[in-house]
Amino acid sequence: MNLSQIDLFAAGAAVLAVWMCGVTHVKAQLWGLALQTVMLSGICVLQGAAENQSQLFALAVVVFLVKGVGIPVFLERSAKRMDIERDKGVSISPTLTLMIGCGVLFIGYFLAPDFAVPAMMNQGSAGMALALIFIGMLLMITRRLALSQVIGFLTMENGIFLYSLTQTRHMPMLVEMGIVFEVLIGVLVAGVFIFRINRSFEHIDVTDMRRLRH
Amino acid sequence: MLPLLMALLGLIPRTARWLPRLGAILLLVQIPVVIWVCVPVFSGGIISYGAFGIDGMGAAFTIITTLVAAAAMVQAALLLPAERAEGHKITDRRFCLFYTLSGGFILAMYAVPLAQHIGYLWIAVEATTLMSAPLINYHHGRDSLEATWKYLLLCSVGIAFALFGTVLILAAQHALGNGETLVLGDLIARAKDMDPRLLRLGFIFCLLGYGTKAGIFPLHNWLPDAHSESPSPVSGMLSGALLNCALVAIWRLSQVVVAAGQAELVRQLLVPAGAITVIAASLMLVKQHDLKRMLAYSSVEHVGLLTLAIGIGSGQLFILHAFNHSIVKVALFLMAGSILHVYGTKELSKLGGILKASPVWGIVLIAAGFAIAGSPPFGTFISEWLLIRDAFASGEIAATIAVIVGLTITFMAITTHVGRVVFGSEHSPAKTAPVRVWALTPALLMVMSLIAGVAVAPPVMRILSVLAQGVQR
Repeated sequence: MNLSQIDLFAAGAAVLAVWMCGVTHVKAQLWGLALQTVMLSGICVLQGAAENQSQLFALAVVVFLVKGVGIPVFLERSAKRMDIERDKGVSISPTLTLMIGCGVLFIGYFLAPDFAVPAMMNQGSAGMALALIFIGMLLMITRRLALSQVIGFLTMENGIFLYSLTQTRHMPMLVEMGIVFEVLIGVLVAGVFIFRINRSFEHIDVTDMRRLRH
Repeated sequence: MLPLLMALLGLIPRTARWLPRLGAILLLVQIPVVIWVCVPVFSGGIISYGAFGIDGMGAAFTIITTLVAAAAMVQAALLLPAERAEGHKITDRRFCLFYTLSGGFILAMYAVPLAQHIGYLWIAVEATTLMSAPLINYHHGRDSLEATWKYLLLCSVGIAFALFGTVLILAAQHALGNGETLVLGDLIARAKDMDPRLLRLGFIFCLLGYGTKAGIFPLHNWLPDAHSESPSPVSGMLSGALLNCALVAIWRLSQVVVAAGQAELVRQLLVPAGAITVIAASLMLVKQHDLKRMLAYSSVEHVGLLTLAIGIGSGQLFILHAFNHSIVKVALFLMAGSILHVYGTKELSKLGGILKASPVWGIVLIAAGFAIAGSPPFGTFISEWLLIRDAFASGEIAATIAVIVGLTITFMAITTHVGRVVFGSEHSPAKTAPVRVWALTPALLMVMSLIAGVAVAPPVMRILSVLAQGVQR
């Protein structure tokens, strides 16, 4: 099989996501997230060069600055302020999550032909995008720390971004920017709430939020 | 538009004293303004401003949103200062922030039905989530924080799915030569030539996403928490306007799928989803012990009915029922807020004897209870009746029977619960005497519902079908 450069980068992002399944240190996870985003902005640049579209270069810069630098730094700061180093409680052990993550990667690979757009060059990336989306969900389900759930959500979002980047002839620029902006605001809002949860529950473990039932 | 003014004024903390009254007045003025702007649409026209535009659906839901928001803001002007006067620790800053965010929330809810571009539609829906999350947490309690986190997280995941669905619909146009588009009108025009497999996938993902936001049955998890823990004017807006917004998004996308000649898919997905939602919500209604949670589950039930209306492709009934449900539900939530304030509890077992304490409140509550359960002569009865008739006529026998069973259970559950609150013996005495003025807005809304029930005659149905047709172009 023939991997293009873009597919290679996409695979790199997906493998990073799998690696994130296995680590519980918040800092390591944030590094994983940042590197993932760097891969995606790399794809953005490659795509822009291949199609001669300068818009994509601008998008790459914005995505890199917002999701690759801004958000991880913000989350790192808040983690430090709340004295969190690692996600102590995970509902499935990290090793097992890692294995499931690998499984998801394979499933993504095999599902790729169903989701890929025939006319596009980088068929493999569709599978990697799917894998990212599902691994993001996996992270959200298995982690108990509110902060880790946000990281899972961002991974999911990266998957969607990867798909739109490689399988469509581009979302309108304005929409793409709007989405990046919304994600940024979303993370800020979530950050405020994480802080609040930490203050009023004295921890940010969401499994103890059980009062509201039925 | 005026909510923007309110949002901006909210940024100045010193305005706290007169901002509530001003907010209410601004929103009341907004009603005739919005109707005036929408007038040309009633005869089938479309006003367009780039990617946004007022078509029939947009006009109908903008008006509903405005009514709901105005009612909520009027009640907020009465309720929130009274709450503060009684020593809820709410700083001026948070109080003003409430108004800023409410203004932003209302604007975002306008943007949803007005978006003629599914990318902007997505952005608007996401904006409603972000604006409303801090509103739910207005009281800063542990429970409201838990509800907010659940809301933020579940809706974000849902909305991420919707984004993926939107991208898939964009990708479905790969075979077409002339570039890709997300503009609704163009999408409908070229739907036939899209890749049907990707379009189907896209619609399913969008349904999952916006369905979470609307609270369709297995995805309704966040809804009762958020609706019951937020301050009542916000509950009213969430229930009466936000759910509609999510459903409008589903309606828009279903139009594209129908235009692609896959009406079967829409029907097969939405009709069972609606029927199951109605049944599930009605069963959960029976064992409720919290007034606002009960209302929230009743919203889930009505979302089920609206989903059914979209499923059978009936735009008129979708608008009509959304209108009827919204005004009654807002009235109920506002009453619930007043009751919570006066009695200090929303436990159904501790409430009782409201009719004796204040006849006006009792009568309004009874009327609203009957209306939400769908009994004549209120508007909800008419729209539910028409909906059942049309569903039956379109051959969805099993789903229709399920809905009828669900509605029957709902009727019994709601009348029992509300009956006990109104007539039952008084358990915990009122902290303060119920003020009659507080029932004014709900009472006006009930009168509206009554008129809607009596006036649904052929001319009204004709206007509605003009509005619904506007979308199909």
